[in-house]
Amino acid sequence: MSPNDTEKLEAAIHRALRSAPGRRAPASLEGRVLSELGRLSSLPWWRRSFAYWPLAARVVFFAGSAVAAAVVVNALVMVGLSTFAHDLAAGVGQRLAWISLARNVATEIGDKARLVIGAIPALWLYGAAGAVALCYATLAAIAAAAYRAFSFARRPAATS
Amino acid sequence: MNDEPTVQHAPSGLARDSDFTTFMRKYQDMVFTTSARLVRNDAQAEDISQEVFIKAHEHFEMLSASPTAGGWLKTVATNLSLNHLQRYRKRWRFFSEMRSTDSSGEETPEVDFAAPDTFFEAMDSEERREWVEAALAKLPDHQRIPLVLYHFEDAPYDEIARRLGVSLAKVKTDILRARVALAKILSRGGASPHPQPN
Repeated sequence: MSPNDTEKLEAAIHRALRSAPGRRAPASLEGRVLSELGRLSSLPWWRRSFAYWPLAARVVFFAGSAVAAAVVVNALVMVGLSTFAHDLAAGVGQRLAWISLARNVATEIGDKARLVIGAIPALWLYGAAGAVALCYATLAAIAAAAYRAFSFARRPAATS
Repeated sequence: MNDEPTVQHAPSGLARDSDFTTFMRKYQDMVFTTSARLVRNDAQAEDISQEVFIKAHEHFEMLSASPTAGGWLKTVATNLSLNHLQRYRKRWRFFSEMRSTDSSGEETPEVDFAAPDTFFEAMDSEERREWVEAALAKLPDHQRIPLVLYHFEDAPYDEIARRLGVSLAKVKTDILRARVALAKILSRGGASPHPQPN
């Protein structure tokens, strides 16, 4: 298509689309909006959108939020520095000693696995990884083909 | 995406004491049309229109005095419609747009259609509307949405690309393909008295 044809097509489509009048809104829209507005206006202010809150309430909310954030941060710092925190960490450490044991076991298994894998020729490993990747790709391709076949068969065909 | 554009104030706007119902009656067709063209579903378009007017009510004090109230409503309707589409699009785009992502290159698509000069020469406006709606409904979303934004909302290519989160080249390609497809549909349906397929 030449640039001239492209411009002519754009102009023709623009004229065609813009010459078509708009839709009429459903008759139910006005009633739905008014009833929703009525429902919203019957709610107390603290259950409505923040934009509807009284100015004083908004100021108090912001100030309260700032104070609460400051208190939480200070509390966390103080707790972190206290002896209670150290005692708590020691107590928790004792209760969670099994995690250390599990880590040792996992490390041992990992070491053994490394020895076993090291004994396998690299070509075999690459082949296995390639086979797994191929299986994944095949599965994705089958799923995509099935989706397009079954989903798009029910939709109006795109013309291009 | 920011759904609420800025509003220009002007003393020559709608009277300040305008009733919200009157305001809604004035703009509801435009809002509904904007949304319906994008989401292609009347029930969803009505839900979005309701949301638009709820937002408008929150800003009614400004809007009632603004000469750009219509533009504000149209922008909000467009943004909410795009948000709605993108919310659902993420769930199926991997498979459904697999083919379309191949067209993100710079090349112009191969088309074999000579542009007709006019459509609908012998149709009244209501028939035109029905033809256009039926033709738009046949386009896939990734072509119809940028086409609607370009031709109805007067959005430039780069803005459409930004709003849809796709490349500029893909937007241009999709819009061109949509125009060609639309021309074929309209011509094939008898909308053009002298279709000129090559």
